[in-house]
Amino acid sequence: MSIVDLTSMAESQADVKTEINNRLEKLQNEFSEYCYQCAKCTSGCEAHKLLELEPHSIVALLKRGLIDEMVNSDLIWTCMSCFKCRERCPQKVAPVDIIFALKNMVVARGNQIPGNYSTMLQSVLSIGLLQDIKEVTTNDNKTIKRSDLDLPDISKPEDVAKFQMFLSKIAVEKV
Amino acid sequence: MKKYVFYPGCVMQTEQYAYEMSIREVLPLLDIELVDMKDFSCCSTPLKSVNEMLALGLSARNLALAEKEGLDVFAPCSICHLGLSECKHILDSNPSMKIKVNNFLADENLEYKGTSNIVHTVDLLHDIVKIDKIKKAVNNPLNKIKVATHYGCHLIRPSEIGRPVDSENPQKMETILKAIGAETFDYAEKLDCCGGLLNANLPESALTKTGQKLQSVKENGFDVFVDACPWCHRQFDAKQEQAGKTIAKTLDVPVLYLTQILGVALGIKKEKLGFNLNNSPVDTLKLGGN
Repeated sequence: MSIVDLTSMAESQADVKTEINNRLEKLQNEFSEYCYQCAKCTSGCEAHKLLELEPHSIVALLKRGLIDEMVNSDLIWTCMSCFKCRERCPQKVAPVDIIFALKNMVVARGNQIPGNYSTMLQSVLSIGLLQDIKEVTTNDNKTIKRSDLDLPDISKPEDVAKFQMFLSKIAVEKV
Repeated sequence: MKKYVFYPGCVMQTEQYAYEMSIREVLPLLDIELVDMKDFSCCSTPLKSVNEMLALGLSARNLALAEKEGLDVFAPCSICHLGLSECKHILDSNPSMKIKVNNFLADENLEYKGTSNIVHTVDLLHDIVKIDKIKKAVNNPLNKIKVATHYGCHLIRPSEIGRPVDSENPQKMETILKAIGAETFDYAEKLDCCGGLLNANLPESALTKTGQKLQSVKENGFDVFVDACPWCHRQFDAKQEQAGKTIAKTLDVPVLYLTQILGVALGIKKEKLGFNLNNSPVDTLKLGGN
């Protein structure tokens, strides 16, 4: 299985899109009436200080139904997933959850997945882990492998074919 | 002896070996036994941006595997800990979702029941081992070294689903560190993010976050910076030099895992705690008696 299977199977992706749309609709109903634009989320936002993300504006845009505009914006990919906006909202609104749903929609529409996300996804699909075992450099510049250290074998999916079957079902079918 | 299934996640077991080494050295001395299991996968929490359902499904699969042992789960990575906890929170409160996820798990003869609790390094030490026991195990108390703590976002938020420490004023690491002879004090940037997850698509911005936090630690006069998450540690330790270049400062902050500094206080040799794998200047540290 590859990312192509996950992102371009038109029929299955229709189900995924429906699921994400339902999620966004639920978030819109739950959140946008409660948000009174106090911007406490933005005042603490880790990405705001550096990259001008405004979680309160994301909620306002969702309220107006401007989902396409957000899905097509790079701004949603500046979120660091620090969860401060969800933690501190006096109205229990969670802008970070809206941002996750929007990013999921970018992927479900088959748009380019930014940066290393595709590499990480591909690795999970092929070996079940974000990355394979790496060599590391010691502070006196020697290269060391995991097997040089007194550590047991790593834990990863034993039956890869079965694992991939599970992955494709959970990621592509409507949960 | 209390037993836990050891859920290693990805980054620790494929790259951040010092965390795993120090955990495996320290915990048995505090009567915690770790049970290694085959067949775990990524929790997929770092891929929530790509597909949230993947994170829910993979976390459920890992929890179902662990439940077969009838033990609670020890997840030393804060990101894994949040992913597994969030999965448990969703499946335990949403029966129809639990049935759907279990239908997928049935192919591998697995079932998520919700019988295992999930612990992280910080609450395992503070709430389960407890401070008295740690104090009694110390045989090389630290030399009043000034420690800055970093909890990491995923360990402390969102408190709504239950996190091991307080979201706005976390103090459990400080309590442990004081018990082993260190000094701690709060600093304004203590709750700031390491930037780690942004590495996937905006690495320069991630390094700026990392560098800014370390610079403030340096300016505050701390001797050492202590964390307990392989993602955070990779930023602050392995990428410290790059982070310094990114913010045009010279950074020379020694960075240790909580289990490494605790291991020294328990009298374990630095080699066994993976000190040579830290890329930040930990050699210059005068931690304690030996």
